[in-house]
Amino acid sequence: MDDISSILYESAQRLLGDLSERAPTGRALTDEDRAAGWQRIEEMGLPVALVSEGAGGFGLSEADAFRLVRICGRNIVPWPLVETMLANRFAAESGSEPREGPVETLSDLTPGQRETAALARAMQMAGALDAILDMTISHVQERQQFGRALAKFQAVQHSLAILASEVAAGQAAADHAVARRAQGGEGATLAIGIARARIGEACSKATAVAHQLHGAMGYAQEHRLHLYTTSLWKWRDEFGTQVWWTRQVGREVLASGRDAFWPMVTVA
Amino acid sequence: MTLLTFPAPVENEATEILRAEVRTFLAETIATRTPLERAESWNGFDREFSRAMGRRGWLGMTWPKEYGGHERSAFERYVVVEETLAAGAPVAAHWIADRQSGPTLLRHGTEAQKRAILPRIAAGDCVFCIGMSEPDAGSDLAATRTRAERQGDGSWKVNGTKLWTTYGHEADYMILFCRTSGPPADRHKGTSQLLVDMKATPGVTVRPIYDVMGQHHFNEVHFEDAVLPSDALLGTEGQGWAQVMGELAYERSGPERFLSSIQLLIELIGTLQGSESVAAQTAVGRLFSHLVTLRHMSRGVAALLDAGEDPTVHAAIVKDLGATFEQDLPDIARSLVDEEPDLQSTSDFAAVLAYTTMAAPAFSLRGGTREILRGIIARQLGLR
Repeated sequence: MDDISSILYESAQRLLGDLSERAPTGRALTDEDRAAGWQRIEEMGLPVALVSEGAGGFGLSEADAFRLVRICGRNIVPWPLVETMLANRFAAESGSEPREGPVETLSDLTPGQRETAALARAMQMAGALDAILDMTISHVQERQQFGRALAKFQAVQHSLAILASEVAAGQAAADHAVARRAQGGEGATLAIGIARARIGEACSKATAVAHQLHGAMGYAQEHRLHLYTTSLWKWRDEFGTQVWWTRQVGREVLASGRDAFWPMVTVA
Repeated sequence: MTLLTFPAPVENEATEILRAEVRTFLAETIATRTPLERAESWNGFDREFSRAMGRRGWLGMTWPKEYGGHERSAFERYVVVEETLAAGAPVAAHWIADRQSGPTLLRHGTEAQKRAILPRIAAGDCVFCIGMSEPDAGSDLAATRTRAERQGDGSWKVNGTKLWTTYGHEADYMILFCRTSGPPADRHKGTSQLLVDMKATPGVTVRPIYDVMGQHHFNEVHFEDAVLPSDALLGTEGQGWAQVMGELAYERSGPERFLSSIQLLIELIGTLQGSESVAAQTAVGRLFSHLVTLRHMSRGVAALLDAGEDPTVHAAIVKDLGATFEQDLPDIARSLVDEEPDLQSTSDFAAVLAYTTMAAPAFSLRGGTREILRGIIARQLGLR
C-alpha cells in the first residue's frame, strides 16, 4: 500500500506540477486547454481520491488522500480540483453518483462535511506554504543586489528563518489534525480548530515575508507568487474563518477552566 | 521541504500510566507551592524534591541501569519533564544534570567518571552547572579565553572567568568548556571539556550576579590557578567544540523552551474561565493552538533523538517559536485582564503576571539567543 500510494503521490505531483507551471498567469485558460487539462486530471482519478473504495474511490485511507490534497496545494492549478474531490466524497456519502466535471462551489454542507472541508483547506494551505518557502529560498539565492545574493544579507536570512518556522508550525498543526482524525474518537474537531487557528496565522506571517523578500517583482501579476498568496488569503477563512475556528478552541478551553487546562493540552 | 517535517510522536499506554503516576506524585509533593512559586518554572531549587524524583526513578531515565539509569524511552522521560514543568515543580537541583551534563558524561566520560557521577545524578543528589559563557564569549562561544594548561604531573591548571552560571553557587560539578591549546585565534580548534569539582577545587571563586528581579540564580565563576586532577578531562582533548555543540542540542530540545510562562497561562484561564467575550475566547484559542502545536513539534524532536538523528535545526525552530510564544504571553494577558501586575498581590494572576513580565526577556537569551537560532535555521536552508 505504501508503494502504491507513493507512486500515486509522485504521479500526482508530476501531473499537477506540469499543469501548474504551464498555466498562464494573469489571464484565463482557453476553453480548449481547460478541457484538455481537466481530462488529464480525471484520467488519473484524482477527483475521487477522497471517496471510499466501495463507493468508487481507489481505496486510499483518508489520511493518505489528504496527502494528495496537500500536493494540490503545493501545485496550484486553474481547476477546482479539491472542491471536486470534496463534492464527490459528499455525494458518495449520501449515496449519489460522482459529479460530472469540475465542481466550482460547495454549498449546503452539514457540520460534519464542513469540518472535512476545513481540514482539506488546512492541508492545501500546508502544501501552498511549502511552495512559497521554496520559491522564496530560490529567489533570494538568485537575486543579486549590492553585488551579492540577497541570501547573504543577515536581515534576509533571519526573515527566512521566520518564514520557515511558521511553515513548519502550520504544517505540524495540519498534519496532527489529520492524524487525530484517523485515530477516531473525540478530539478530532478540536484538533481541526487548532490546525486552522495555527496555520491561518502561519499564512499571514509567511505571505508577508514572502512578498517582502520577493520585492516588487513578486507583486506583479506575471509572477507566480500571487497564485499562492492570494489563494492562502482566501482559504484561511473558508469553511469557518480563522477567527471562528480560533474562537471555538478558546470557548472549549475556557468552558473547561483552569484545572482541566493542562490535561486538555496533553490529550489534544 | 522535508527537513521541516516533525515526525509524529509514538503514543502508548505505558507513557499515559506514567503520566498519571507523575501527576499523583506532584499533587502530593508540591501541593503547598503557590502559583507565584510555580511561575519560577525551572528556576525553583529544592534538593529534597530532586531526591524524591530520584527515588521514583524519574532522573537519568534513559541511561543504562549499570550507571543508575532506568533504560526507559526518551518519550517516557519527556512525559516526566513536561508534567513537572507544567506543574511548576522546583526542578533546578537536577535540571541541568539530568538534561545535559549526564548525557554528555554518558557519551564522552571515562568509565570511572560515569561510575562515580551518573548514579548520583540519577538519585537526585548531584547538582551540575554549565561552564560555557564568558565575559567576552557570549553568543560567540568559540571566543573562549579560559585556559587549562597541562602540568608536568598530568594535572590541569585553569585560569579564566565563566559567566551567567546558573546555580553555580549550589553546584557540585561544572562541565567546563575552555581552551587547552593554541591561541584564541584558533577558534574551535584546541578546545576541550573538563569536569570541575565545584566544592573541592582551590582557586575557584563563585560570585553572585543578581537579575532584574533582584534574584540570585546567575553567578560569575572565577578560576585562578585552579588545579584539576589529571582525570578531569571529559572526552577527547581538542574535541571540545564538537562535544559542546552536542551538549547544546540537549539543552535546546526540550519542552522547557515553550513552557516557561505556563503558570501565567493557567492563571489567565482561571481568571477568564467561562467568559463569553469574543476577544477572550479568540485570544485563548490562539494561545492554546500555539501551545499544542509547539508540543507536537517538540515531541517530534524527541522522536528524532530516539531515532539517533540530528535534531539541531528542528530544536532551533521549536526554541525560537517557543520563546516568542512565552514572551508574548504577558502582553496578551494584560490586554485581556484589567489588573495591575504586582508581585505582592494576593491575586495570583497579578503576582504571576508581574513575575513573568520580568522573567520574559531571558527566554530568548538563555540556551542560544534568538539571533543565533535564526542563523542555524538559515544555514540549514542553504543560505549561509
